[in-house]
Amino acid sequence: MLVPSLLLFFASCQNAGAPTAPAPTAGTGGGLASIMAERGLSEADVLAAAKTYTPTGKLDDYVIFGSGGHGGNIVVIGVPSMRILKYISVFGPEPWQGYGYGGLGDDVLYEQGKQGGKEITWGDVHHPNLSETGGEYDGNFLFLNDKANARVAVIDLKDFMTKQIVANPLVMSDHGGAFVTPNTDYVVETSQYAAPLGGKFATLDKYETEYRGAAVFWKFDKVKGRIDQENSWAIELPPYAQDLADAGKLVSDGYVFINSWNSEMSAGTEGKDKPFTESGASQNDMDYLHVIDWKKAETLVAAGKTTTINGIRVISLADAAAEHVLTFVGEPKSPHGCDVTPDGTAVVVGGKLDTHATIYDIAKMQDLIAKGTFTGKDKFGVDIMDFQASIRGQKELGLGPLHTVYDEKGFAYTSVFLDSTVVKWNWKNLEEPIEALGVQYNIGHITAAEGDTISPDGKYVVAMNKMSQDRYVNVGPLLPQSFQLIDISGPTMKVIYDMPIPLGEPHYSQMMKADKLHTITAYTPAGTNPYTDTKSEFAVASGEEKIVRNGKKVDVYMSVIRSHFTPDNIEVNEGDEVTLHLTSMEQALDQTHGFAIDMYNVNVSMEPGKYEEITFVADRAGVFPFYCTEFCSALHLEMMGYLLVKPNGA
Amino acid sequence: MKPTPVQLMRTWEVKRRRVVVALSVMAAACLGGSWFLPWWTFRLFAPQYPKGLSLVIHLTGVQGDVAEIDTINHYIGMHSLADSALLERAASHWIVGLTAAAVVVLTFLAGRKLGWLGMVIGLGLPLGFVIDTTYWMYKSGHDLDDRAPITLKPFMPTVIGDGKVGQFLTEAWPAVGFWLAVTGVVLLAIATWQRARVCRVCPTHDECGTTCPHRLLGHPS
Repeated sequence: MLVPSLLLFFASCQNAGAPTAPAPTAGTGGGLASIMAERGLSEADVLAAAKTYTPTGKLDDYVIFGSGGHGGNIVVIGVPSMRILKYISVFGPEPWQGYGYGGLGDDVLYEQGKQGGKEITWGDVHHPNLSETGGEYDGNFLFLNDKANARVAVIDLKDFMTKQIVANPLVMSDHGGAFVTPNTDYVVETSQYAAPLGGKFATLDKYETEYRGAAVFWKFDKVKGRIDQENSWAIELPPYAQDLADAGKLVSDGYVFINSWNSEMSAGTEGKDKPFTESGASQNDMDYLHVIDWKKAETLVAAGKTTTINGIRVISLADAAAEHVLTFVGEPKSPHGCDVTPDGTAVVVGGKLDTHATIYDIAKMQDLIAKGTFTGKDKFGVDIMDFQASIRGQKELGLGPLHTVYDEKGFAYTSVFLDSTVVKWNWKNLEEPIEALGVQYNIGHITAAEGDTISPDGKYVVAMNKMSQDRYVNVGPLLPQSFQLIDISGPTMKVIYDMPIPLGEPHYSQMMKADKLHTITAYTPAGTNPYTDTKSEFAVASGEEKIVRNGKKVDVYMSVIRSHFTPDNIEVNEGDEVTLHLTSMEQALDQTHGFAIDMYNVNVSMEPGKYEEITFVADRAGVFPFYCTEFCSALHLEMMGYLLVKPNGA
Repeated sequence: MKPTPVQLMRTWEVKRRRVVVALSVMAAACLGGSWFLPWWTFRLFAPQYPKGLSLVIHLTGVQGDVAEIDTINHYIGMHSLADSALLERAASHWIVGLTAAAVVVLTFLAGRKLGWLGMVIGLGLPLGFVIDTTYWMYKSGHDLDDRAPITLKPFMPTVIGDGKVGQFLTEAWPAVGFWLAVTGVVLLAIATWQRARVCRVCPTHDECGTTCPHRLLGHPS
């Protein structure tokens, strides 16, 4: 209603001088005009405000799951308001969610998250991917890769918690991932910087012979909601610096496409007179788009044609090449972006140093593979398809086209890095002229409403810009990155909101219809362990709270409810191993408590009905208050107790 | 052949007797059926509960946001709702079952002078419920733990209509089970009236006292 009334208002302004026009009323009309004048707002600004402003009590239509980059987390954002709804901590500790401060989440973060036995407490997250059923987001799970440490995390969207981290046993860094096959049978993670597989050592002069990439197909158990590492497998890849990747869908279900940018196999200077990787990897005019037939790969795995490396079954590069599990097609140099069209018939690849997007026709490539029509082999024996025979065409979009998303009308929206534009173009009709919209600045990834599904919604595109420069008050020199919401519903694109992202470098995001979420409001029954989804055997009922001492081991079975902990006084001896079993007796919406022990680096979040478990050694004697860290009630401050640690010999 | 006035009277009487039995059985079904349904609803509204909290009273216990209401109530020292009316809840199926059975049995057994007894027993159910609920509400508002964080003057919660406790606006109304029981009583009232009309013209009118000599349907003629 606001937009039409605003338009009426503008219409009436234009007629204000005419004697027949009614005088603007003293209410909102006059107020709006004076605010516009005072704040220097144009009609377009006010329309943008009307399209994004979300009054109290109204909910957003879409939810973005944005990568928090080297913040190691996820930013959940409502669209169109661009309000931050939540951060989900994934690869790093975060006290509000009680993740990594003594509770059950420590196992995920510190144990499962170990790489090669090393504890790692940060991640560089790039590509969040929502679980899919039949090529549509189903709102159940979110997967996320950690480029720096080659790990994949599983976030349960029932409670927005990180439930699992799997460490890739083969590669030392990843990039293409985590993305899912259309029914979430696999979560795929592909390498970026090549290294000897399995964490082995080899000098750089052995780059070609010893260094390798890999595509890991993590089997996802949809019932358990966890990656099944036992039934996962991988394909060995040449050391070409595999980059972005996407899974085929509908007619191309069964394929995975990965681009790569180092067919030169540059390993930098190697301490010699060689060029840096930036030049060394940019010499060839063509790199290789990897075409992987994963359904065929599955049959090789089932037939046992694998070698186990560091605990995971791997199809060798030679077998992958011989069986056409892996084939190549050229792609213009330094490719970036690898995005399958909603109908699954084509894959669009951009290029950091090119001006074109290339549209590969998947049916043509399938045909070439089936007929065995190749132009040659690479050094590792992988068959190469003819570039011209594989493509539908190329489209000039500007300097440095990267990623492409789609709408429901047949348009593609490509981020163009060097030009700092979003380019709208018709991927089905390459003759149609493009439309470019300037964004601020250096756009990297781009996301669209349901844009990665078989049925995109259109409406909104978000430009994820690497630089904000002058867009916000200078809080630098480290400046936030910037998301720009773009309205794509009209004949021309319009930026309608700028949103700073001040916690890491956002890479990819996905935007899902908000009503696909089925988030819980409480763990039911009270005492549910969120990591097992069942009531903990250590959960207590009201009135059954107790402290059990067994030698130097003390188990405290505690209930948590407004506004008290039962028991509220715990007495132990210095050196005792203390386990606190906490049960929230709450079930009401938003009735969360916290539990922190002063000076013991302990803080957990007690959402309604949650079971938590904290184990620590009482190695410092003294009196330590513990208290509720979420303002739960009028008597929240009184929700406290004492941990008394009796000194030895006292 | 045209029926005589006496025959017409008999036909009317037999029909009426059947109506009395039908009404009574329906009334017993209403009373019995109400056991399965909620009898009273309390709703509580406060700023932090935009959707409100509700408490649904069944004869067997309370349902709805019981844990949450208990949690809030503990601040003013109210006893847990789970501790209220234990005896009544435990015996509710007997009370309702026997009431319904008594209504049916009395339909056949009660004589001219006790024709109203079934109705009065039926009435005892909703009436007893209201009195008992009022008692327990009184008790919960008066029997407060004096060590509670918030000290309130003992108060009488509103049992019907709108009320206010602290930041809560309350609203209490009978629910479908109560209305079904009341319907049962109304049916019994109609049955009692119809029975009185039948008994007035009954041939055994004069011998009839506390029990019906022919069990209402077993007419002597």
